[in-house]
Amino acid sequence: MEEILFGIGISALAGALATVAGAAEDTESDIGSQGDPNSQVQLAPQMGYIHRIYNKAVSGEPPAYGLWVALAAGIAWALMAIQYNAVLALIIGSAVAVFVQGVYATTAYLGRTASLAKFEQPVYIDILKSVTSVTMAHAFVAIFTTVTMCFLIIEALGHPFPLPLMGIVWGIALGAAGSATGNPFYGKERQYQKYDFGAGLPISASGDIVRYAEAGQRSSLDNGWFTSKGAGPASGICFGLIVFFELWRTILFEPFAAGWGAVIAGLVIIMIFMVIDRYVETWARKTYGPYTEETAEEEATA
Amino acid sequence: MSVKIEASEGGMDHNVMLGIGLVGALVCIYLVWLNTLMSTEVFAFFGGLAAIIALWWGTDSIKSLCSYGIGTGVPSAGMIALGSGVVAMLFATKLAGISPLLVPVGCVVVAAILGAILGFISDKVLNMNIPVMTRMIAELTVVGSLTMLGFTAMVAGTFSFGDLITGATTVFGVEIASYAASVIGGCVLATIFMLGAIAIQHPFNACLGPNESWDRTQMCAIECGALSMITVAIMSIAFLSIPAVVISFVISIVIWGWSYSELIALSKRDAYDWLDAQPIREVGGEQ
Amino acid sequence: MSALGGGSAGGEGINPAASVIALVIVLASVGVAYVLYPAALIPLIGIIVGGVLISFGVHFVPVGGAPAAMGQAPGIATGVAMLAAGGGLAGLFGGAWAAELGIWVALGAGAVGGGLLMAITCLMVNVIYVYAMGIPAASGKVDKDPITGDTYDGYRSQGTEGHGLPFISYVGGVLGGLFGGMGGTLIYLELLSVYEEALPSFLGMTPEGMQTLAVSLAGIFAVGMFLVAAVLTAYNITGTIEGPHDPKFKRWPRAVIGSSAASAVCGLVAILLVVI
Repeated sequence: MEEILFGIGISALAGALATVAGAAEDTESDIGSQGDPNSQVQLAPQMGYIHRIYNKAVSGEPPAYGLWVALAAGIAWALMAIQYNAVLALIIGSAVAVFVQGVYATTAYLGRTASLAKFEQPVYIDILKSVTSVTMAHAFVAIFTTVTMCFLIIEALGHPFPLPLMGIVWGIALGAAGSATGNPFYGKERQYQKYDFGAGLPISASGDIVRYAEAGQRSSLDNGWFTSKGAGPASGICFGLIVFFELWRTILFEPFAAGWGAVIAGLVIIMIFMVIDRYVETWARKTYGPYTEETAEEEATA
Repeated sequence: MSVKIEASEGGMDHNVMLGIGLVGALVCIYLVWLNTLMSTEVFAFFGGLAAIIALWWGTDSIKSLCSYGIGTGVPSAGMIALGSGVVAMLFATKLAGISPLLVPVGCVVVAAILGAILGFISDKVLNMNIPVMTRMIAELTVVGSLTMLGFTAMVAGTFSFGDLITGATTVFGVEIASYAASVIGGCVLATIFMLGAIAIQHPFNACLGPNESWDRTQMCAIECGALSMITVAIMSIAFLSIPAVVISFVISIVIWGWSYSELIALSKRDAYDWLDAQPIREVGGEQ
Repeated sequence: MSALGGGSAGGEGINPAASVIALVIVLASVGVAYVLYPAALIPLIGIIVGGVLISFGVHFVPVGGAPAAMGQAPGIATGVAMLAAGGGLAGLFGGAWAAELGIWVALGAGAVGGGLLMAITCLMVNVIYVYAMGIPAASGKVDKDPITGDTYDGYRSQGTEGHGLPFISYVGGVLGGLFGGMGGTLIYLELLSVYEEALPSFLGMTPEGMQTLAVSLAGIFAVGMFLVAAVLTAYNITGTIEGPHDPKFKRWPRAVIGSSAASAVCGLVAILLVVI
């Protein structure tokens, strides 16, 4: 019984760490403009819209976070192998991973912007100097919490994988969850703020991103504030739920039915989420109504 | 490695790069064998150099492949390179049972065969009909396996399977042998896998655009390789003696510092303008 | 993972000669395994089935790519291979944890792990679209949802090809996670059984750490082979797909054939590791 209580406690802690990780990951990728929405930042100069947005083209978020977390995990593992204190090893591992992330971010910005010389997009050095450290800070939060979560799962819950391998698994999962949830919010709501709320972006408007902010020119730093109002917490909840339910159903239900209990519990949880999703979808259709066929409105007001 | 700086916009011919990359990487990995010959650990850094040379070559392969518009983007090519490369590399380290000197060449041969089969599947079975696909995927698999072999040799000082699975931990001050504390057992390979996967696709992905220039992209490749070398040097602290770690670390930092400053200089040369705290330039009079 | 400016070069239809060669490769690999190491015959077939499951499952996952990030196309705004990898690896995590409970329980745990990640992620995608962006879900390829019967014609914004995750895409995503997690776990379990049996006899010793060695080897091979199968399938899909109702879904046979050959060869090399 105590073992199950201990296990559930660790699952809750891991779920909390994962929530923080998801929120920080999405905020970081929006401040740096990484992943699929970045295609618009790349496209804008080609359509004649020069901008001061950080163009961090370091692959997509899943492989990038797979690397940062696996790197932090590998270095932490190596330090723990020479008898370093575990917490210190995790911090040093995360710090080195963040340094690598910062360097990759700068080379991506310089590389992409220098290659856009034909469209007269200049390289703004002050963007490099001001935004890079902010992305690194958010990335540190995401990486450290994820690596600590992996460490807890191995040491406290007894998973057979070694730390670096666990780092790859959860790093890629973190990137996938954060990227899926956060990209549309940044891509449509933030980059195309001036277009009507409540509708998708018409294809003809591609590239016309917002470049002037509430006061002065938009900097990628402001995206952090924006993300943490919506998609950041949503990504955090997404990844936190994933980790928590994955661990919770195994610890609580595995002793039943020779292991099949956890599988059945998982299927039940999937069904519940499917029902919730159906409810969300029908609520939207009912409340917002269709775009055409009906008079007036586009959607419910924001 | 000074060859590519002289090259102009058009760059070096890909076959020449293949030759330099393949031969250079193999020579450097064989130099790691000096560790075993001289019962020392200080020559481990040659593995990192081999990986940098392989990445330098692989960047051009990814460039050739992705310029045909494969629809999925550049990072997937890096993933498939390392995914198949790791299979070939681990198989090759086992060849050390027959003869340790067989490992690097065996790695290249197995990776080439595996890559050719995967390239054939992509091109003909999946009907992508890209002329260079089979050859490029084969090259990428070889590059992936060489990168993994190089970094593994750098982190452990050796490339034979038997040495890669031996490690030691201290329990109450007593050293006991443990598989879990070895390179393969602790799965440090996982970190090297991701390091290679991102480093192989980043130079082309980051320097993508109408004004992409060969020397800048290749310099980015060297920089990515050196950056990965720094982290591998830090990880080797678990397996190598302190002098070997310090030598690897210092060499990595020097190469990285040089390539990073060169990259900034080349970006300055290529960029339209290099502004500090200046407003947006309006080209079309838009708001 | 933004798609490059150039259009994709993929063609339609199956190439019969190449498919036959692929099947020959599969049979040859199985034959070589049987000759060199008969105990690994069933595991190799298991690995091939795993690769097929991964490849088939990735076709279900709704991916919209860069247009989805702007509400111009339905699906999830990430790359195919990496989203599938996220789900499959989460499944691998669950399956590896349940490995000692037997192969069928572990497969179930792996499938559920992948499916759970996809279910929660797809739900949060819809939550963002509906509550944070005010956009209802609509498909671009069909006018009527095959499962629920919702009509999408009036619910697409002007100038777009649909947005969000219609219910069929959601179900597709969950199914994709289930198959992908199951496939990845199957590859891992088969390799684990080969290594657990072979490593002690080939290396001569059996300390406890041997288990970690087998787990690590099987784990890194499983991750590598999963990525190979996912990327090959991404090449087949050429970037974006809306789910099982998308016409591109009909391309699945050639990806399955290709993936079986790729898994056969990679699995053979992984198994021969213990023979030489």
